[in-house]
Amino acid sequence: MAYLTQPDYVKYICSCGQLKPITSLYFCRHCLKIRCGFCICHEVDSHYCANCLENMPSSEARLKKNRCSSCFDCPSCFHTLSTRATLAQPRQAAQDAAAGGDTKVENKQPKKMYYLSCFNCRWTSRDVGIPDQPVASGGWPERTNPFTTRMNQLLDYYKAIAQQEKQEKLERERKKFAIRGKYITLTDKTGLTGAMARNIAGLPSSDGGSSSAIANFVASQASEDVDELPEDIYTKEVNLKQITSMAQRLASPEWQPATVSRLHPLAKLLSVKRSQRCRACDHNLTKPEYNPGSIKFKIELLAYYHVPEVKVISFETIKPGEKSALLIKLTNPTGHEMQVRLLQPEDLPQPEEREEPKSIEKSLEKSLNLEKEPLPETVPDKPSGVRVPASSRVCPPSMTLSLPQRDDAAEYDDDAHHDTDDVILWRKSNKIALRLEVVTESTVASGVPANALLALEYSYRNTVPPPPTAGGTLAGTTPAPRDHTLYTTVLLDLGVVSG
Amino acid sequence: MALYEGIALIQEKQAVVLDLGTDYTKFGFTGEAAPRCIIRSEFWCTTERRFKRVYDYKTEEELYENLVHMLHRLYFRHVLVNPKERKVVVVESLLTPTLFRETLAKVLFTHYEVSGVVWADSPRLCALTLGTPVALIVSIGARDAEVAAVVHASVVLRALQSQPLAARAIHDELARLLDEDNGQELHLSDHIIEDIKVKTCFVGSRERAQQWADGEQPSPARSVQYPVAGRTAITVSGRTRELAAKPLFARDNELASLPDIVLQCIMQCPIDARRALAENILVTGGTAAMPGLKARLAHELRYLVTQPPYSSRLMVRTFKFHRAPAHDNACAWAGGALGGAADAAGTRATPRDVYARRRRLRDWVCLLDNTPPDHPHHAHQL
Repeated sequence: MAYLTQPDYVKYICSCGQLKPITSLYFCRHCLKIRCGFCICHEVDSHYCANCLENMPSSEARLKKNRCSSCFDCPSCFHTLSTRATLAQPRQAAQDAAAGGDTKVENKQPKKMYYLSCFNCRWTSRDVGIPDQPVASGGWPERTNPFTTRMNQLLDYYKAIAQQEKQEKLERERKKFAIRGKYITLTDKTGLTGAMARNIAGLPSSDGGSSSAIANFVASQASEDVDELPEDIYTKEVNLKQITSMAQRLASPEWQPATVSRLHPLAKLLSVKRSQRCRACDHNLTKPEYNPGSIKFKIELLAYYHVPEVKVISFETIKPGEKSALLIKLTNPTGHEMQVRLLQPEDLPQPEEREEPKSIEKSLEKSLNLEKEPLPETVPDKPSGVRVPASSRVCPPSMTLSLPQRDDAAEYDDDAHHDTDDVILWRKSNKIALRLEVVTESTVASGVPANALLALEYSYRNTVPPPPTAGGTLAGTTPAPRDHTLYTTVLLDLGVVSG
Repeated sequence: MALYEGIALIQEKQAVVLDLGTDYTKFGFTGEAAPRCIIRSEFWCTTERRFKRVYDYKTEEELYENLVHMLHRLYFRHVLVNPKERKVVVVESLLTPTLFRETLAKVLFTHYEVSGVVWADSPRLCALTLGTPVALIVSIGARDAEVAAVVHASVVLRALQSQPLAARAIHDELARLLDEDNGQELHLSDHIIEDIKVKTCFVGSRERAQQWADGEQPSPARSVQYPVAGRTAITVSGRTRELAAKPLFARDNELASLPDIVLQCIMQCPIDARRALAENILVTGGTAAMPGLKARLAHELRYLVTQPPYSSRLMVRTFKFHRAPAHDNACAWAGGALGGAADAAGTRATPRDVYARRRRLRDWVCLLDNTPPDHPHHAHQL
C-alpha cells in the first residue's frame, strides 16, 4: 500500500493533468490511460442503509426519500439511536387490582414496550413525549410537513397555468394557418377581442373549463401584523441547553425545530455504492458487489494493479547546484513481465491527440442519430498542462530494466538479490531498487519544496480481447494478448531544498 | 398526442433544485415542500486537509474544482441520484458574478452532464411561493441584503437594492460586543459566533434601540454564560444579545440601512406599483429568522416613511407582510421547487446541446440579451 497517514511522497500525473497518489487512481484497460476520480463518471449503483446493512431497491429508496425505515439517528448528536425495551404494566391490570378482582391472569403479564435511546448523549424518545411502541422496529409516528398542503395548492395552480400556456401556444400556432374569413368580424371593427368582451361583461373566460385550479386558487394574504418578540424575552433566563443549534435545526429541513423539546428521531439517511465509468470509452472502471456487507468489487481497474509503482526509499538532502543520491523502488504489480525505462519528462512522446476510432457500433449509432448534432467534446476542462515546476532533475540510466511478474509465493523469500551494478541496488521478486542521481540547479532558492519529475516507459500486456472488427474475428481463435508501450510521469517529493 | 405526452412526463426524471448559498446550500427535488438537505457550503479538501468553502476561490480553476467537489457531495452523499441526464434548477441571485455562473454552467454541463439547467433568480422564485402578482422581496442572507420588486413576474431591475447588511455584519458586530463584554479579544471562530447568535441574540424593539443610542440604560435582558471548550465561559450580556443586529438598522447620511433600502426600492418603482408593493412585502433569507427582526423592520418602515426624504415622495402608509409556505432559509428554494415542477424544467431550461454549441448563458446585464427585438441593432447584425 501507499502511505495511509503520511503525505503522498509520490504523485502520478493523471491523463487529465491532476496529481494524485497511485492509490486514488484508476487504469482504463480499454483506453490504456490512467484516470482519476476527477475525470471519470460516477454513478449510483445501489442504495443501502449503513447501519442495518439492508439493501433497498432504488425505486423503494425514492419512495422513502432515501431514508431507512428501521434505523434512526439522534436528533441531538447525530449518533445512531438504539432501541431499548422496558416492561410496562398494562393499565387494565392496575384497574383490576384496584377492583380486587383476579379475572384474567394473562392481562397481568407485563408487556414489553420499546423506546429509542442514544448511547452517546443519553437523549431518549421519551424526552420529547413520543409514546413507547409495542413493536421493536418501525411504527414510530411520522410527522408531516406543515407547509405541504399549501405547497400542493401552489403546485396545482402553477401546473394549471403551465398547461394553459401550452394550450394557448398550440392554439396560436393553429390560428396562424387558419384562413381568415372575408367578412369583417367584431374584432376588426372595434379592436375588441372575444376574451376582452367577456371580461368586460364580467363573464368567466371562455377556456376556463380546465382551470378550476386557477379559479379556486387563493393568493397569499398579507397582514399588517408580524411576529412580535415574545413579551418575556427581556426578563426570561436563557437556557442554552433548551435551544437547538444550527446543525440540529438543519438536520430536519422540513421542521427546523428551534427548541430541544421538538426534536424528533431522524430516519437514517441511506448510503450508496457507486460504480465508476470511463468518460472516453464508457467502460466500467469499478463496479461494487451488490451485497452491502461486502467490500469487494466485481470490476476493479485500479492503477495500483496495472501501473508500476514507484516508492522513495531515501534521498540525500537536496542542495542547490549539487548532485544528491536518490533511492527508489519500482514494483511490477501485473502478472506479466514488464520492461521499464526511466526517461526525462521532456522525452515523452506527445500523446497523440484524440480519438482512436471508436467501435463500429458507436459510429453506427452516431450516424443513425443524424438529427442530433454531434456534441462537441464534453470531457471536462482539464487543468491541463499542470506544468509542475520541478526544482530538480533526475538523471535516469539509459538501460531498460526488466521486472518479473508478481509472484505471491516469492513474498515469503527474505533475502534480496544484490546486484553489483551501481544503478540497481537489489532485486527481489517483482521489485527492484535503484540508485539514481538528482541534479539541482544552482538558482533554486533554499527553503522551497524540492521535487523532481520522473517519466517511466513501461510495457503493458493487454489481456482484454479486442473489440470485434468489421470483418468479424475468426471464430475459435483466442486473440493474442497485445503488448503496449505506455508512459507515465511521477512527481517525487524530496523534502525541502536546504541552504 | 396527449397520451404520448403523458408518457414523456412520466419518463422525465424529477429535476433537482440547487440553491448554492454563501453559507448554506439547499438541495432537493422539484415538487417537494422542503429541500432534502441544508448543509454548509463547504467540502473536505483532501490536499489541504481542512473543510474548504465553495466561495473561497481566487482563480476560475479553483472555483471549478470547488464546485465539482461540492456537487459530488450533494449528489452522492445527500440526494443519492445520478446527476447525468437530469435537469437542474439553479436558484441564483440577480447579482451573482458572471464568473461564478459560467463556471457553474461548465461544471454542470460538462462535468456532470446534466441534460438541462434552468437559471432562475431568487426574487421571482420567492414571489412564486406567494402567488400574488406583485411582491417586494427582502432577502437577508449571509453576505448581502437584497431588495427586489417583482411586478407581474418581472423584476424591476432599476429599483434593485443590495447592501452588505446580513449575517456577516451581525457576526462582526457580535464579535466586537463580546470582546467588550469580556474585556479581552476573544478571537472566536465563526461557528461559535454563529451559535451564540442563533441561541441568544434577538432584535430589540425600535424604542429600546433608540434608548440605547441616546445613552439611557433600559433594563437589559438577562445575560448568558456561554460555555466554550478549553476556556472559561463567555459572558453574553443582555445589551449584546439585543444590539448584535444593530448594523442592519444603523442609519447615516448614506441612507443605506435595511429599512432605507426597502423604501428606496419602493420609491424607484413605477408609481402605480408602489402601494401594491408596500402591501405585499416578504422578508426572507436565513437571517430573517432571527427573533424580532421582521417586527423591527416593520416598525422602522412605518416610522421612516413619515420622515424626510420619504414623507414627501412616498405616499404609501400601510405596510403588509406575507408569510411564505416555507422556512425563511429555504424560501427561494421552495420557489424553485414549485417553478421546476410546474413547467420551467420542461420549456425554460437551457438544454445541454444548445450550451455545447454555444458556450454562453443569457444574462440580464448583457446587451445581447436585453436589447429589445425591434431595436435597429438586430437589423445591423443581419
